[in-house]
Amino acid sequence: MLGYIWQYVYTSFLRYWLKWLIRQATGNCELQRICSSCKPGATRTAKAEYSLRCSKNKVVRGALETSKDNLEQCVNQIMQEKNVKSQKDPQFKASLHICLLQITGYSSLYTSVEDLRKEVFSSDNPEHEAMLLKLWDLLMPSVKLDSRITKQWGDIGFQGDDPKTDFRGMGLLGLINLVFFSENYTVEARQVLSHANHPKLGYSYAIVGINLTEMAYSLLKSGALKPHFYNTVQGTPELQHFHQLYCYLAYEFDKFWVAEEPESIMHFNQYREKFHNIVKAHLLEPDVSLTLTVSSKN
Amino acid sequence: MGLLTILKKMKQKEREMRLLMLGLDNAGKTTILKKFNGEDVSTISPTLGFNIKTLEHRGFKLNIWDVGGQKSLRSYWRNYFESTDGLVWVVDSADRLRLEDCRQELSALLLEERLAGATLLVFANKQDLPGALSKEAIREALALDEIKSHHWCIIGCSAVTGENLLSGVDWLLDDIAARIFTTD
Repeated sequence: MLGYIWQYVYTSFLRYWLKWLIRQATGNCELQRICSSCKPGATRTAKAEYSLRCSKNKVVRGALETSKDNLEQCVNQIMQEKNVKSQKDPQFKASLHICLLQITGYSSLYTSVEDLRKEVFSSDNPEHEAMLLKLWDLLMPSVKLDSRITKQWGDIGFQGDDPKTDFRGMGLLGLINLVFFSENYTVEARQVLSHANHPKLGYSYAIVGINLTEMAYSLLKSGALKPHFYNTVQGTPELQHFHQLYCYLAYEFDKFWVAEEPESIMHFNQYREKFHNIVKAHLLEPDVSLTLTVSSKN
Repeated sequence: MGLLTILKKMKQKEREMRLLMLGLDNAGKTTILKKFNGEDVSTISPTLGFNIKTLEHRGFKLNIWDVGGQKSLRSYWRNYFESTDGLVWVVDSADRLRLEDCRQELSALLLEERLAGATLLVFANKQDLPGALSKEAIREALALDEIKSHHWCIIGCSAVTGENLLSGVDWLLDDIAARIFTTD
């Protein structure tokens, strides 16, 4: 209770008085202080985001909803509002611009990802079909599919004779992630597939992949991935960065699963949760960067 | 622990039911479970292993087990049979090609000794889809009328819209309660 009262008093009064006092003393506004004292990446951008969101000034707050093309203008406006002179603080403009690209980019990335997720896999769409067949060829280069509907799909971890029903909740996003991993990390993807086909420790490669897409999606949606993208992308995060994150999850989950040696696939959810918690713990570190680095062994 | 507490505990235990939800993959088991529990059903992925949810309904504590339906998981189904009060068999009413597969899996289940006392509820799911078969057609395709070993009922439903989920579960609870809580 006391905590709540303190927080209320702090955010509605004290914070502004403090900011005003420091501003008078140093001659710099809060955004300037953040940009000069924090190193670039999650620490700086997260603080800038908080400062912008709490601002009483409409122009400053509006920066969070500005489209990419108008950001430069928006930075100029903020500098005018806050009376920041480029001559006195030459770095500020570029730093704030990057912060804003990252912050607004994260929301637009979520929109793009959500659009892909909502796109239902359709057998009538030749592009979708081509992508599915490409996935097979990338993972099983030496085996030909007997037909489009076949039990062979089970060999790369789909549930039945036709993978299309497995894409339900994650839509095209699930398929694109699977193809991206196989295309850009072909050796690693085949290695993961060989682990997945292990007679005792095995798991359904494609279905687990779709479940990991769901994990990536929900982390993105909740905002938990912000530090990762703020640290790894110096600008607007794009779809390919999201696919890269999926590759990290697919590769790391496989290592985790093999190391844990679960009794059977029936315990999947329990291990999924454990892995999820590990990822979430990483995301709380200020320097987090969930990037797939290939280890030489295996 | 006093006598009253023990009695209370027993009473609570009595009001508990274990429901097992099975069916082929893509039948909609997880969607039914989540919809019934008031959760978002738009981002569901295929189930690996199982989900379990405990929820209160009409004063009963329901432990609902939702086990993945893909072929490679079906051999694990038997691990979940023990002390099942109600079996919920979920059918994708639009998946005509696999109805025979569906019938065989169900009739094999009904021979299981550990499921002998369980009430059977068949959900003819996906009634919202244009190509869905009616519950009468499903009843015939699964030869439900030949079942003499279990109390059973078939209900047409849609997990996406939530239609008839409640009436199905209510029938199941009434039937189970009449069998096992007669002393109440």
